[in-house]
Amino acid sequence: MRKNRNGVLLFIFILILIFPELLPSSEEQEILALKGAKVHTAASPPIPSAVVLIREGKILEVGSKVAIPQGATIIDLEGKEIIPGLIDEHSHIGSYFDVNEFTQPLGPENRALDALNLDDEDWYEALKGGVTTVVTGPGSGERMGGQSVTIKTWGKDPLQRILKESREAKMAVNARDLSHIPSIRKMFYKALEYKDKWEKYEASEKKGAPPEKDLALEALVPVLEGKEKLRLHVHFANDMLTFLRLKDEFGFDLTFIHSSEAYKIAREIAKRKVPVITLPLATRIPVCDEMLLGIKELFEAGVKVSLHTDHPVVHQKLLRLNAGMAIRYGVPEEEALKMVTLNPAQSSKINSRVGSIEKGKDADLVVLNGVWYQPRTRVEMVFVDGTLAYDRANEEKFKEERK
Amino acid sequence: MKNFRRTKLVFNSFLPLSLTLVFFIFCLGREGDRETQLLAIKGGTILTMAGERIEEGVVLIKGKKILAVGKEVEIPEEAAIFDAQGKHVLPGIIDSMTYYGIRPFDLNDMENPVTPENRIIFAYYPFGEFMRGKEGINRDREILSGGVTSVYIAPGDRQVIGGQGAVVKTWAESYDELILREPAALDMTIGDTAKYEMKREAKTPVTRMGISTLIRTNLLQAQEYLRKKKEAEEKEGEEKEKSPLFPRDPRMEALAALLNQEIPARIEADFADDIRTALRIADEFGFKLIIDSGLGAYKLKETLAEKGIPVVLGPPTHPFVQGGEVSMTRELYREMNEYNASELIKAGVLTSLASFGFGFGRFGYATQGRWLLIEAAYLAGFGVPDEEVLKMITINAAQILGVDDRVGSIEAGKDADLIILDGYPLDIKTWVDEVFIDGVNVYSRKGGRK
Amino acid sequence: MKRERKCFWYFTMFIFLVSGLGLGLSGEEDTFALKGALVHPVTSASIEGATILVKKGKIVALGKDISLPEGIRVVDVRGKEIIPGLVDPHSHIGVFAANDANELPQPIGPENRALDALHLDLPDWMEAVKGGVTTVVTGPGSGERMGGQSVTIKTFGKDLEKRILKESGELKMAVNGVNLSHIPTIQANFLKAREYLKKWERYEAEADKASPPERDLSLEALAKVLKGEEVLRVHVIWANDIISFLKMKDEFGFELQFIHAPEAWKVAEEIAKRKVGVICMPIILSINLPEDLLKGIVTLQRSGVKIAMHSDYPVAPEKWFRLNASLAIRYGLEKEEALKAITINPAEMAKVDTRVGSIEVGKDADLVVLNGPWYEISSTVEKVFVDGILAYDSLREEER
Repeated sequence: MRKNRNGVLLFIFILILIFPELLPSSEEQEILALKGAKVHTAASPPIPSAVVLIREGKILEVGSKVAIPQGATIIDLEGKEIIPGLIDEHSHIGSYFDVNEFTQPLGPENRALDALNLDDEDWYEALKGGVTTVVTGPGSGERMGGQSVTIKTWGKDPLQRILKESREAKMAVNARDLSHIPSIRKMFYKALEYKDKWEKYEASEKKGAPPEKDLALEALVPVLEGKEKLRLHVHFANDMLTFLRLKDEFGFDLTFIHSSEAYKIAREIAKRKVPVITLPLATRIPVCDEMLLGIKELFEAGVKVSLHTDHPVVHQKLLRLNAGMAIRYGVPEEEALKMVTLNPAQSSKINSRVGSIEKGKDADLVVLNGVWYQPRTRVEMVFVDGTLAYDRANEEKFKEERK
Repeated sequence: MKNFRRTKLVFNSFLPLSLTLVFFIFCLGREGDRETQLLAIKGGTILTMAGERIEEGVVLIKGKKILAVGKEVEIPEEAAIFDAQGKHVLPGIIDSMTYYGIRPFDLNDMENPVTPENRIIFAYYPFGEFMRGKEGINRDREILSGGVTSVYIAPGDRQVIGGQGAVVKTWAESYDELILREPAALDMTIGDTAKYEMKREAKTPVTRMGISTLIRTNLLQAQEYLRKKKEAEEKEGEEKEKSPLFPRDPRMEALAALLNQEIPARIEADFADDIRTALRIADEFGFKLIIDSGLGAYKLKETLAEKGIPVVLGPPTHPFVQGGEVSMTRELYREMNEYNASELIKAGVLTSLASFGFGFGRFGYATQGRWLLIEAAYLAGFGVPDEEVLKMITINAAQILGVDDRVGSIEAGKDADLIILDGYPLDIKTWVDEVFIDGVNVYSRKGGRK
Repeated sequence: MKRERKCFWYFTMFIFLVSGLGLGLSGEEDTFALKGALVHPVTSASIEGATILVKKGKIVALGKDISLPEGIRVVDVRGKEIIPGLVDPHSHIGVFAANDANELPQPIGPENRALDALHLDLPDWMEAVKGGVTTVVTGPGSGERMGGQSVTIKTFGKDLEKRILKESGELKMAVNGVNLSHIPTIQANFLKAREYLKKWERYEAEADKASPPERDLSLEALAKVLKGEEVLRVHVIWANDIISFLKMKDEFGFELQFIHAPEAWKVAEEIAKRKVGVICMPIILSINLPEDLLKGIVTLQRSGVKIAMHSDYPVAPEKWFRLNASLAIRYGLEKEEALKAITINPAEMAKVDTRVGSIEVGKDADLVVLNGPWYEISSTVEKVFVDGILAYDSLREEER
């Protein structure tokens, strides 16, 4: 009996060796292999001629000596370059425009998604530009509170596209107004008091009358607790310093957005490890050279820099050109790539999924027909979650499908 | 004694005379210096924009003009040499539509949709920072860093007829030498932007019909004016108090210049329908036409080619030059075609690439022209050959602006407006190293930072 | 006979005595001499230990050794410095009160006369005198595109009619570079004025004067400029606007002066070429002017442009007018040129140089006595004479 079983096993084994297709295989086990391109992973030095294996919407493997499994669909990309899908950490793509002052009550019954227009053609243009993930939401009104959605620019299912919905504490400081500072500090203190009051109320099993509700202070509480980040729209260096000092005092998580003058206080920012989302606003806004060279200064001081478009100020699709401008103004190539991929991913805490071409991450990839940052280079293919979302060669067909 | 007296006489008169003569000659020599100064830029790859690409060539400059260009050009001994080994030499870049040098509040006359008498030249401010700097025309490092040596400036696009534009240099030794051509064109807009301001006031134009009517009515009035003027002149004979700069009815004279084909009309229009309107009006009144922006121009490429109507295209990275911060409107988006430039060129339409630069609050004045090479590189990825795209920002622009006798290419007899680049022009990492205008080295990248 | 003759003689002598006394009484004001100071006449070399002889409000003699008539009052000014009474060519003193300065709603108002809005009782005038400013050209504000006409007047004097040197004489325009249609509008108006002139010239030339052309005060004022009867004074800020006006001058040929013109130095050569005068910055202590501009004054002058300082009162006080020149010296202007800029140059620009602006025989006795170098901040004004009358005496003030 034993002998027979062993013999059967041996037979099956040999059979499988000769006919591996006999092994049970499901659809999801299909592998896509992108072969021969120069791959910039954003997490390692560029690989001159690499293979990227994609399975189930994730990156299975990437390297120069990766064996392509049998049955894999191979796409020959010799002469091309591959970069991770680009990430814009600050945009208003898909937002309706007249919403700067509108108060959206924050609660489970309102979804951030409802504020977005997903039929907007801008999403397609962004995708064509190689941008696969954006953090978007309504405008920068000078208020506390806001909503943002971290969402992919393409997806079969709208809900599938969302990585994160967040209530975020967003503030804007636009004026060189000295009275701003004491009132902001006061607000932080008030928020602490507010938190205290409500905690006591909750602890006492809701005895008696509840404390007054204040939406603005309420939005600040998770910031003070370190649960949420304070995203500050700011331009002037002195305003940034104010908030760095507030951060020293209250210890919250802080990000600067726009940050036009950040380079002037690069070291102070680096010291507190505050990430900076900044210019260059491509070729549309006549930003002076000093500011553009400032990106390099920030990087050299050790600040984590992300580049943004602030769509529609500059169109979302031009994020790659932003990186090209940064390179022109002195930022090393691989660093500039990080500024539009890994840095925003890390800053937005979505780097477990996106931001680089690494095993286990989403297969969001951009294939280009030349040096990735040159303006004459065109995006040829874009993969989102392993699916070919844009193919230049079949553009007409894609346009039809979208209609 | 006699001898002494004679010596004294000779000495007293001869010496001062001769000294005066020497001094005179010296002064003359100094005067003539600038006109005859020789400079040879040698060793670089010269892209003349006149057909040739010259490896390791020489550009010989005398005074303000190019004397000779070629591979084997004899360099006179007294010439100063500028070593351009390993670099690229190009004509100065021409931005064929920008608001450079105009302060934002000077752009549009908000009271009136039709102001042909306004001349942008009065608002050209090439003097650097307000109340700061040195005497003379300012060497604006920001615009020069992009190699821009000439620009076409005009009133803004919020009016139906904004006024008269001008072609000016970004630097010159004196104010008068700045002006290449003025007036250079009459600027108009057919599109939603021309309506924008008027909507607030419920004044015409509120619709495209209104825009068209305004243009046609004014042109009809100008025709009538011309007729009356001719009659009056025949009556009065030689009595003319007309001066070339300050005409009798500035408004009508400006329109008359258009009707007499002295200057072309530059009509900013994007939708193919708006371009058709422009063509129709041009046919009706018989003036020369140039289309600005022309996002939908490819739809009419044959007609444009046939009629010899040039198109000044906006920057391909942000093509919607009309309208404020919203870079895309749905309808315009559908009109757009990435291969617009390529199709127009293949059909034989003369096209140029301009920045349509505008000031942006605290970020600065309209120096976007300094990135025209990057825009050109972008266009190169959309089917336009490299040589063609470089022509779009040099010789084509000069031809469209009507100043190609002076600038736009490196040819003997033209102004010595040249730029030297440290790499291939269409590489985003390439920088302009040197800029020469009228033979003067007005910008040197290493010559100091802000 | 003898007695009659004696009476006659006694009578005659009495008359003489009385009139002599009378003369003597007013003679104290009438004829006097300032002796011993360092005098800067401006239009000639400075004189150490000089004597100035004043008679009936005019300077009758100036020099080192002058024989003085017997019995006249001699003011000892040894150790002092004397400069001409300062001339401020652009001020709004006496006009700004009670909002009478700008007839603003009306964009063109050249027919308005400052004379009709002068307030003579203000203490401002005395402040000007204390600063050594004896002549001012005062007029409406810069609010209008084409303002009204100014008046050139002494800062002191009992009789208004006597104080006035000139009524009008300039047409003032302001261009603040805020609108593209500014220049074309002004050009159009000049063209209209030219045609207006032609119309009237034709009418005058015609034998039968049927019906005269319609009068237009505004065009008339412009026509005066075109004819060269009045100077066009333009308030200008931006350098490109300066160029625009220089071109207009090329075309229409009028006499032109710029006021304020903080960027004039940027186009100094163009201005010098057309011999246009500039009433320029600095306006001390009031406006924070950049270094380049202050150095620019020197550039302007050295390019051959005639420059004059101004106070634009009340923007800057008349009392410190002199210090404009001091500031310019600090930035490199030669002392003689700086003094000219607050005396003879403005006088020439205001066309009152036959009367004021320098210490010369025949000119008004407008004199400023200082206790040290005229350009030093530490020097104070001790005495000011206007038309030969002691308008201010610092000693008398202290006694109070």
